[in-house]
Amino acid sequence: MRRWALARLRTISGMTIATAAIHAMAGSSTAADVELGRYLSSECTTCHGAAKADTTIPPIYGLDQRHFTEVLRAYRAKTLPNEAMRSVAARLQDEDIAALAAYFAAARPR
Amino acid sequence: MTELTRRHFGLLAGASLSSLAMPSLVLAQGKPKVVVIGGGPGGGTAARYIAKESNGAIDVTLIEPQKTFTTCFFSNLYVGGFRDYKSLTHNYEKVKKSGVKVVHAAATAIDRDKKQVVIAGGQRIPYDRLLVAPGIDIKFDSVPGYSEAAAEIMPHAWKPGAQTQLLVKKLNALKDGDQIVMVAPPNPYRCPPGPYERVSMFAHVLKKKGFKKSRIVVLDPKPTFSKQGVFAEGWENHYPGMIEWQDPKMHGGVKEVDAKAGTVKTDLADYKAALVNVIPAQWAGKIARDAALVNNTGYCPIDAASMKSTVDPNIFVVGDASIAGEMPKSAFSANSQAKVAAMIIRSELTQSRAFPARYSNTCWSLIAPDDDIKVGASYEPKDGAIKATTTFVSQKNEAAELRKQNYKESVDWYNGITADIFG
Ligand SMILES: Cc1cc2nc3c(=O)[nH]c(=O)nc-3n(C[C@H](O)[C@H](O)[C@H](O)COP(=O)(O)OP(=O)(O)OC[C@H]3O[C@@H](n4cnc5c(N)ncnc54)[C@H](O)[C@@H]3O)c2cc1C
Repeated sequence: MRRWALARLRTISGMTIATAAIHAMAGSSTAADVELGRYLSSECTTCHGAAKADTTIPPIYGLDQRHFTEVLRAYRAKTLPNEAMRSVAARLQDEDIAALAAYFAAARPR
Repeated sequence: MTELTRRHFGLLAGASLSSLAMPSLVLAQGKPKVVVIGGGPGGGTAARYIAKESNGAIDVTLIEPQKTFTTCFFSNLYVGGFRDYKSLTHNYEKVKKSGVKVVHAAATAIDRDKKQVVIAGGQRIPYDRLLVAPGIDIKFDSVPGYSEAAAEIMPHAWKPGAQTQLLVKKLNALKDGDQIVMVAPPNPYRCPPGPYERVSMFAHVLKKKGFKKSRIVVLDPKPTFSKQGVFAEGWENHYPGMIEWQDPKMHGGVKEVDAKAGTVKTDLADYKAALVNVIPAQWAGKIARDAALVNNTGYCPIDAASMKSTVDPNIFVVGDASIAGEMPKSAFSANSQAKVAAMIIRSELTQSRAFPARYSNTCWSLIAPDDDIKVGASYEPKDGAIKATTTFVSQKNEAAELRKQNYKESVDWYNGITADIFG
């Protein structure tokens, strides 16, 4: 189901992302600040908190960190559509994205 | 604890309270106490986040007179027949399960010196930090001739519940040729695109009934409104000739409404309408005004980095009652502000980490089936006020598929945010 959600995000984009490069960057970072991620995640839960596999807004709990990072960076780079997500991602630094990815990978809905 | 020991404990606590004025020592006596006034998007979110994120280290009490909460957001979809009323109503059972004590009573006063909230019946509830989120009150006398009694005939439906149901009843009783007049509100008011989404829903219902002669007149005190370009385009596409929007230069001002006669008088013309929707000016809920948390605008000034009241360091104000800079008064905003306040309150009371405030908002509006537009922004404190860092808004001539996607997204958002507020 996790993979499915992301696969769908990619289909929506209709584009390929330079995954390898992004993976390399995401993987090399120092330990993510999960507590920061938990705070930042409260912005996500407004829309994603009740998301299910079949909703337009995809579920994001338990997502693979690398995919999570890849998708948020793509929104930040405006290579994925959806103005709301582009706006959310615009102010995220790499550390913020790493923190969110680490938090959501392990977290359960509040 | 037995009754006896509890009383004993209370006495001891009382004794040390009077001899020690230091707030930190008062805190040391037991769990820090947070009281939240108002169980809407602002208060509900704050109460739940403080209780859950502190893992029981903070004692959280939510004061809300109603046993269930009906959302104003999505009430326009009920007007348009896209939702039933029940789907807008939420209870507080899961809020309680989050560890929040819910007291179903109205707060009647805030004793800021003693740091206590007085509730109906006279009971006092002490707090170390108080979060005030009572939403708005309607300024009935801002429209000449309008009153609480007149609202029983000419509903405002800008507070949820019976008013919304009355509006729908009147809408559904219309016959072809009957007119609708909306008196739109002046800034600032809750939900900037709300009146225009409602006009769209009125038009949708008239169109669906196949009415040919009914018209909708909007008398606006503002020269422009939220998402105006895309709304105007949508009205032209879906409801040509049905909606007449007038800016203040065109009507010259609403001189009087007469509920019994069903008339609205402006400088330009007199209208007689079977459905008159009067949305007056608004201000912060009474409890905030009585506690002198408001300034001369009638709303509560706050510190942009924390949502803390600028007049009392132990009080936070979120949601429609606050002056949140460039953020619109929306459920989304209230929910976002509540999370910042909850994070700061926890850090003050339990020394948890504080992070820089980040806010966001998106407002979706339905114009017609599967034609949904949105406006939104990210915000941060800057130079003492909450300012937008990035903004976006739907454009004219967008693909039908995108508008349909927006609608689905709005439904998912509704489910997400109501789960975030009410559990
Ligand atoms: C037609 C319409 C459509 C809307 N659509 C949207 C939308 O699509 N998206 C969106 O984000 N927003 C929308 N909104 C706006 C949204 O409803 C409000 O901004 C939101 O409800 C504000 O939340 P709040 O917590 O500040 O106040 P409220 O929702 O008003 O909640 C306040 C609570 O406090 C309680 N209270 C008041 N006084 C006291 C007291 N003395 N003691 C105890 N409790 C008290 C009340 O009973 C109430 O439950 C819409 C509004 C309208 C009218």
